[in-house]
Amino acid sequence: METDKNTVVPGRLVVELCGLALKNPVMTASGTFGYGEEYAPFCDLNRLGAIVVKGLSLEPRLGNPPPRIMETPCGMLNAVGLQNVGVRAFIAEKLPFLRQFNVPVIANIFGETIDEYRRVTEILTRAAGVHAIEVNISCPNVKKGGVAFGAHPDAAAAVTEAVRGETDLPVIVKLTPNVTDITEIARAVESAGADAVSLINTLTGMSVDIERRRPHLANVTGGLSGPAVKPVALRMVWQVVRSVQIPVIGIGGISTAEDALEFLITGAKAVQIGTTNFIHPAATMEIIDGIEDYMIRHRIGCMKDLIGSLQIVF
Amino acid sequence: MAEKPSIAIGQVMENRSVAPGHFLLTIRLPLSFATPIPGQFVMIRDPDRDEPLLPRPISVYGFQREEGHAILNLLCRVAGRGTSLFSRMNRGGALTVLGPLGRGFTIDPDVRQLLLVAGGVGAAPLTFLLQEGSLPEPHSGKRQVTAYLGAGTAELLTGLNRFEGFCDLRTATDDGSRGYHGNVTECLALDLAGYDAKSTLILACGPGAMIRSLALLLRDTRIRCQVSLEERMACGVGACLGCAVAIQEGEGRTGYRRVCKDGPVFDIGELLWNSPEESMSLS
Ligand SMILES: Cc1cc2nc3c(=O)[nH]c(=O)nc-3n(C[C@H](O)[C@H](O)[C@H](O)COP(=O)(O)OP(=O)(O)OC[C@H]3O[C@@H](n4cnc5c(N)ncnc54)[C@H](O)[C@@H]3O)c2cc1C
Ligand SMILES: Cc1cc2nc3c(=O)[nH]c(=O)nc-3n(C[C@H](O)[C@H](O)[C@H](O)COP(=O)(O)O)c2cc1C
Ligand code: FES
Repeated sequence: METDKNTVVPGRLVVELCGLALKNPVMTASGTFGYGEEYAPFCDLNRLGAIVVKGLSLEPRLGNPPPRIMETPCGMLNAVGLQNVGVRAFIAEKLPFLRQFNVPVIANIFGETIDEYRRVTEILTRAAGVHAIEVNISCPNVKKGGVAFGAHPDAAAAVTEAVRGETDLPVIVKLTPNVTDITEIARAVESAGADAVSLINTLTGMSVDIERRRPHLANVTGGLSGPAVKPVALRMVWQVVRSVQIPVIGIGGISTAEDALEFLITGAKAVQIGTTNFIHPAATMEIIDGIEDYMIRHRIGCMKDLIGSLQIVF
Repeated sequence: MAEKPSIAIGQVMENRSVAPGHFLLTIRLPLSFATPIPGQFVMIRDPDRDEPLLPRPISVYGFQREEGHAILNLLCRVAGRGTSLFSRMNRGGALTVLGPLGRGFTIDPDVRQLLLVAGGVGAAPLTFLLQEGSLPEPHSGKRQVTAYLGAGTAELLTGLNRFEGFCDLRTATDDGSRGYHGNVTECLALDLAGYDAKSTLILACGPGAMIRSLALLLRDTRIRCQVSLEERMACGVGACLGCAVAIQEGEGRTGYRRVCKDGPVFDIGELLWNSPEESMSLS
């Protein structure tokens, strides 16, 4: 659809993702936006495409000892270790706040065993106000579970199948970049019933304090995020988009509308904004506006005409 | 009640060196910026630079409202790349200011004797507390305020002028160039027996070693003490869980709290000291 410049097309940014109608393709990334409440003073939560909350486990988790974060060139390392209030406290204490808003809530979940993933899914499916499940099989900062499931196609498929069997909600499986071939994992979770994949989680990294000859993080290694990872994330999105039929959600180092557009043009159906929230608490709002401006400027009437419009012609 | 935080673009009105490696920033903010509570902090960042990426947490040292705008003072020590760049900012430069953030000091009305204990730039939040209008009135009578300020040398006792005349003042320097020759906790220890445990409150801010020695000193007393902690931060608003500090949750259970949201001010008794290596990264 060709539209005149400056014509306001209602719902120009709308995307349909696994049966959910999102106002726009911009979501927040798990672990970088708390439970939404933390950013409510700076963002109009109603304007977001979706809110993905901090990873939830069956029981509360303490997380790793400090120091947990370290800034690195154009990025940061974190080893939070999935500290969270537990799925029941989330439903009782955090979800009521989110229900006030007209925005889909995506619960990011984590388990040490396949059974834990299953039970967390079951509890969340019964709760009012959860619109989709994002299965984290890619956290590099915990000893058990997490990336152990995400690094092997069979294990990734087994977790996906278990979650799939427990819920009618859309199931998004979040992939780790810390593998040799991410498309192999993506195909495995697609076959196991995933409705979408999101990528990337953080890249495992490390940083050393040379004065004290100690690692900067108590966990020694941590997950790298922020602008530094963007080219790697984009390359992986490109690979996965061509390997699976299900929608791909692009994550990794997105700080501006231009960054988000790179992912969308490459074929991501939606994007998640992570570390950038820490730097510009209202970044998601500016990114949404920037995508709309771009579409007006380029006379693109709907997201369908933008997503995956990459042309490899020179 | 703390007012809502906001993000504002501030303008550097003055950037003055106050001691070697220490500088005082005066920033003009829109009037809409909420009034901070003593102990609260702001996250600042140079919007014209791509790095450092993350904003840096700095305590509120002073805050006033003037015609049409608010004025924020920050007392900073050059610790690394971020603070070094701030120290070189010129008048007219822009700074993104997120705040006010965190939970400040709480002074109960039954407190008759306030002891402010600071090491180095830890004096900043306590200075703001002394600023006119920041201290709540006690239930009855007058409140006595005594400050114990410590630093490496006399020269590094920054912001002393904001204490002189506003309270009783004791100073301590590591090299003995002013006041007590030794650290500030030892200086306080000499006087401690003279204070009535029931009506005294200690508010402290400083390096990890100072806070640890203070915890040790107060372990067998019943004097209340609140400390302002420092930890590396990313978001400053409670979302990333990067700024964890280990807390005693009763019966040997440990938990982590967020310095940015649950603190930065904590009761000293809540902090976990059993294995400082593991529980506190402050050093
Ligand atoms: C609530 C709070 C209030 C603070 N108030 C003040 C203040 O009023 N004045 C002031 O000068 N400083 C204050 N700090 C400390 C200040 O935030 C750090 O010195 C600063 O972030 C270091 O940044 P940098 O880029 O200069 O150093 P970096 O290169 O990042 O680090 C240099 C050194 O400082 C340490 N460091 C880094 N971040 C922090 C941090 N957040 N807290 C403590 N140490 C850190 C590092 O471990 C390293 O040893 C406060 C910190 C917190 C958490
Ligand atoms: C502090 C922090 C905490 C995170 N916690 C989670 C989490 O709980 N679950 C999860 O799936 N991903 C988590 N992530 C990964 C992000 O959601 C995202 O995949 C990653 O940071 C890359 O995106 P970015 O570069 O935009 O930050 C976390 C990232 C950060 C920086
Ligand atoms: S700095 Fe992010 S939770 Fe405290």
